[in-house]
Amino acid sequence: MEREYSRLTRKILLYFSLVVGAAAAMFPFLWMTLSSFMTRGETIRRAFIPENIQLANYVGAWHEANFGLYFENSVIVAVIQVFGTLTLSLLAAYPLARMEFRGRDTIFAIILATLMVPETVTMVPNFLTVTWLHRNTPILWLNSWPSLTIPFLTSAFSIFLLRQFLRGIPNDLWEAARIDGAGHLRFLFRIVLPLCRPPLLTVGMFTFIGSWNSLAWPLLVTNSSEWRPISVGLQQFVSEAGAEIHLQMAGAVIATIPVLCVYFLIQKEFTEGISMSGLKG
Amino acid sequence: MNNRTKDNFIAWALLSPALVVLTAFGLFPILYAFFVSLHTWRIKRDAFIGFKHYLQAIGDPLNLLAFSVAVLVIFLIARFRRNSSSDSSILVKKCSFVLYIPAIWLLLVYGLLGLIETGDYRLYNGFRVTIFYALGTIPFQLSISLFLAYLLFNSLRGKGAFRIVFFLPYVTPAIATAVVFRSIFSSHPLSFANGFLELLGLEGERWLSESHSIVTLALTRLGFSDLPVWLDTAFPSLALVSVILYNIWVFVGYDIVILLAGLSAIPNHYFEAAKIDGANSWQLFRHVTLPLVSPTLFFLSMVAVIGTFKAFNHIYILKNPGAKDSVDVISVVIFEQIFEFHNAGYASAMAVVLFIAIIFLTFIQNRLLGKRVFYGT
Repeated sequence: MEREYSRLTRKILLYFSLVVGAAAAMFPFLWMTLSSFMTRGETIRRAFIPENIQLANYVGAWHEANFGLYFENSVIVAVIQVFGTLTLSLLAAYPLARMEFRGRDTIFAIILATLMVPETVTMVPNFLTVTWLHRNTPILWLNSWPSLTIPFLTSAFSIFLLRQFLRGIPNDLWEAARIDGAGHLRFLFRIVLPLCRPPLLTVGMFTFIGSWNSLAWPLLVTNSSEWRPISVGLQQFVSEAGAEIHLQMAGAVIATIPVLCVYFLIQKEFTEGISMSGLKG
Repeated sequence: MNNRTKDNFIAWALLSPALVVLTAFGLFPILYAFFVSLHTWRIKRDAFIGFKHYLQAIGDPLNLLAFSVAVLVIFLIARFRRNSSSDSSILVKKCSFVLYIPAIWLLLVYGLLGLIETGDYRLYNGFRVTIFYALGTIPFQLSISLFLAYLLFNSLRGKGAFRIVFFLPYVTPAIATAVVFRSIFSSHPLSFANGFLELLGLEGERWLSESHSIVTLALTRLGFSDLPVWLDTAFPSLALVSVILYNIWVFVGYDIVILLAGLSAIPNHYFEAAKIDGANSWQLFRHVTLPLVSPTLFFLSMVAVIGTFKAFNHIYILKNPGAKDSVDVISVVIFEQIFEFHNAGYASAMAVVLFIAIIFLTFIQNRLLGKRVFYGT
């Protein structure tokens, strides 16, 4: 009886801690959403619940900040980055994980070393490179999508993550494919690719988050609103809107919704795939 | 073409697109940054000035030499002490320990203090703030996430739902959550953080606009006045603490997900064996779970140290003029050299110094912590 009792208290304590943690994680979202429906007066009074839901805030923020255009830019940039990263990283991860050739481990070590390079180191040189390319190649780089996407078409992290996954694929599959006369390329596209759904979704999600959130680089390579992404738009809107917290929050909700939608759609594979990045090997 | 050369060809063909991008925009920039740092470089390249920017940033080379020699000596003493552990007497060990004192003295007085005096204040202030930021973020972030991950691991119901919720802050655009935290930690008397203080019966604070250190503020509350200035230097400002709280909030979810994966990789029979031996739940955690999850913790701490030294976005967007330079981590200092002073040459020199510091730290951490990690039998 006493044992039952102590087990119950432990369970209650366990769930209590988890709920407190979850509440802390959720609270800013709740705050953001509630404030986005308030009138200006309510945000100044710091009311907790809006009396009437002010949908007009969203219309106001959308028009005032030119969110329509920024939204479109961010989506285009994110889509190019995601598909580019998935393709290039999978192609690079395959030989690193499943083929033997001279210099493989050195190449992999060099790729991993780029993880240590801060954005502040690469920012100036990359800007100079992009400016040079803008002048010396027929493509317009600055103020356009190439400068926002091409430098980010792959990343050491995504190659690492996919390599970890590919190494775990049983060798029997490869032996069987080889007996059937398949080479590496056919094995990669027919057998490996369909198996890679979870890690590809994870890499895609990470790339999407990174692209959607990037701030310093887009600020550097765009000087007109024509190609500015939503992060820059929101940043400007926030500094211009000043005291108008209800509009700021509506803008923040607008910028958040797409990421949350994508996350909820693929969250199962995402967490499954992300776990692989923590395993050594 | 035989099979081997054909495979070699395929491997390099598959690798090359990614390698082109990574080389052009990930590796080449390191060399290019070094090249830029050797020049006066505003909008365009100007005169070659050699290592002048480095001298301006780091300080007197003699002090740098003293610093490097001291680090080398400390490293050698540590190595000697480790190697001589089995065959030498306690006396030798004690004597070698005494050698640390002059080495550390050289490191601090001639090395560090001299460098700070002769170098760029902003750079060293940046490193100071970055170290506060790392020390304030990493231990708390890791312990909170280990605690929550361990609870999640033990609970059967609602695991998936909790995991989704904990991970939300990491997924959300930083600019959006920063708007919320700016409002929570605003100096406004009715802000959420001040409301919380009021609930405890305390006066409001200026939070993100407060450049004084938390120790100074606490002592002032206790009635001390005319506090020395160094208290603001030796401890993080309240603004930085607010930024740290925000960053912990953002990154705990990521750590939880990775720790959960590490925990579920532990074979169940370890727990069962310990339970049969009569281990209570604390012993189970301390002697079974913790050692077995230590590789994951080590991985996360490596990622976190590199991450905090690279951190920019989540700090820059909470920066407030009231905080003065008390939240300017090194990345922010470099960024401002680029955007406000348009001084690409000098910014690159500082960026190269930061990069070297990151490599050095990763190396040290690997040496110090790497051995304590338990990789199983």
